[in-house]
Amino acid sequence: MSKRALLPRWLTSEHPLPWLFPVTSLLLVFGLYPILYSLWLSFYKRNPATRKETFLPSYNWEKLFADDRVWDAIQITFTYAFVALALQLILGLAIALLLDSDKKGFGVLRALMTLPLVVPPAVTGMMFLLMYDSSFGVISNALYSLNLLSPSAPILGTGSTALWGVIVADTWQWTPFMVLIMLAGLRALPKEPFEAASIDGATAIQSFIHLTLPMMSKIIALAVLIRGIDLFRIFDYVKVMTDSGPGTATETLTAYAGTVYFKSANFPYASTVALGTLILVLLTATLFIKIFKVRF
Amino acid sequence: MASVKISNLEKAYGAIKVLHQLDLDVEEGKFVVLLGPSGCGKSTLLRMIAGLESVTGGDIYFDDKRVNDVHAKDRNIAMVFQNYALYAHMSVRKNMAFSMRLNKTDKKTMDEKVNWASSILGLDDYLDRLPKELSGGQRQRVAMGRAIVRDPEVFLFDEPLSNLDAKLRVQMRTEIKDLHQRLKTTTVYVTHDQIEAMTMADEVVVMRDGIIEQSGTPMKIYDKPNNLFVAQFIGSPTMNIIKCQVTEENGTRYAALDKLRLPLPDDRDLQVGQALYYGVRPEHFKISKAAHDINASSSLTGIIKVVEPTGPETHVYLTLADENLCAITRERIEMKPGDEIHLQPDVSHVHLFDGETKNAI
Repeated sequence: MSKRALLPRWLTSEHPLPWLFPVTSLLLVFGLYPILYSLWLSFYKRNPATRKETFLPSYNWEKLFADDRVWDAIQITFTYAFVALALQLILGLAIALLLDSDKKGFGVLRALMTLPLVVPPAVTGMMFLLMYDSSFGVISNALYSLNLLSPSAPILGTGSTALWGVIVADTWQWTPFMVLIMLAGLRALPKEPFEAASIDGATAIQSFIHLTLPMMSKIIALAVLIRGIDLFRIFDYVKVMTDSGPGTATETLTAYAGTVYFKSANFPYASTVALGTLILVLLTATLFIKIFKVRF
Repeated sequence: MASVKISNLEKAYGAIKVLHQLDLDVEEGKFVVLLGPSGCGKSTLLRMIAGLESVTGGDIYFDDKRVNDVHAKDRNIAMVFQNYALYAHMSVRKNMAFSMRLNKTDKKTMDEKVNWASSILGLDDYLDRLPKELSGGQRQRVAMGRAIVRDPEVFLFDEPLSNLDAKLRVQMRTEIKDLHQRLKTTTVYVTHDQIEAMTMADEVVVMRDGIIEQSGTPMKIYDKPNNLFVAQFIGSPTMNIIKCQVTEENGTRYAALDKLRLPLPDDRDLQVGQALYYGVRPEHFKISKAAHDINASSSLTGIIKVVEPTGPETHVYLTLADENLCAITRERIEMKPGDEIHLQPDVSHVHLFDGETKNAI
């Protein structure tokens, strides 16, 4: 009798359940349980003075919709996500097009390109914090000397520029990720249609518009989806660089949830804000998938 | 339409030379096939004519205009690729109209041309489909349609039938030839399939290792191969080649291998002891079961290994003095493996090649 036959049938590879068990249990413990727990938490009203929680299912949810800071945070989150996404997408595609070559040295360039990805986001935040510093920061000083900025209005200390300052740090860190995805897509494109197009009389720009973009559309959509979801969850850069400030000029949804949780210790309401963010991300992503017909 | 002239053309990738000083003239309106084994440089040559590969040395002329430095898009050529190279996200109609869209042809002319091409190629019902919804043969036709709407000076085909099944290949072969006869556009066609070359070409150019071994009409290449390589490359089943030496017995010269004596034609300049390759095409063996059926003096006796009836003719694989040979007969002869068979080469169709240079004698 073979060794395989000794095992019960449900333990052999033909049967998927035993093999799905480890990952399923992980998902249940670290994914489903926290969500259900937050949901349960969001049905309670916390009294900050007595620290007592009473079951009042609609209280936090009504508060969420009535909270001006939430609406501001939604607007900031969307602005942040869209601007950062657009920048990273355009830069990513442009850099990928430049790096898509078999010439000598390009392999090294492609590898170097990924360096920002290995820096932890919080460290990137600190790095940019230093570079933005109004007395010795290299970026600030450069902008001062070009007369684009005045020392009286530091980048992260001014409401109108703080969000941009954070977006630049995010873009520096995450553009290489876009470059990687775009490069993988570009290098997998078949050569012949482009040769056929050049014989058909297409210039490089026409080839890009009529062939590269449509052929890359699925990859671009996927990259936008992955980065978009990630950008909605923006927390580290804001926390490290501005701590939602000045005022609430850079307070995104997750940052607001963090503030409510850690500073006000209002766990039920913080859970409600976090769940609201999740619902918003799900809705936006689903809408995007439907409109752009993204397939996995 | 234009003629294509290639002179002293060279191509090298770094230190590796792939084309060595090629000269070729393609007359206006002719169908020329570049034929050779994989890696002989035929596709590279075609891509250089197309402008997809740079020229290392020498010149390419369309009519009298040197086009070495002219970009592919400005050469007014059309090319059909082996894997079709269709634009996957465009319908058949858009694929065919793409070049016209780029040079801003008006919609009416564009529609007329697409309809004209699709009616020639039988694609009328598929104009709004995507390439992935078509069969291999239909895709190949779309690729051809895309080429013919351009009204090009020169048509270039890069192994266009390699991805099709045998039956479709034969059908498309006829269609391409028919198309050429109708449009009379100068055509350069690359293939490694010698049947395609023979059936389609006005002129076949046989290439090997970056040089042109021989060029000429298909029948000239078949009947008068310049050297051993061409002789063996053209023809299916391939030409029988026996390496032997010239000997003289009783005043008659033979090509001899051990005890085997093969008759030699009288009109060649041969020395006794000279090494040579003795070539006979399978159809130039006369075979019979009984020795007296054929001239006994030059009859040879072989043992049948395999009999392959194809319908119109029968291929007989046999051994003759340890040499494996093939003979073709159109007669219905009762044969089975192990039988003795008598065969006699048709001396007027024997090919002789020098033992050292391998060139035809």
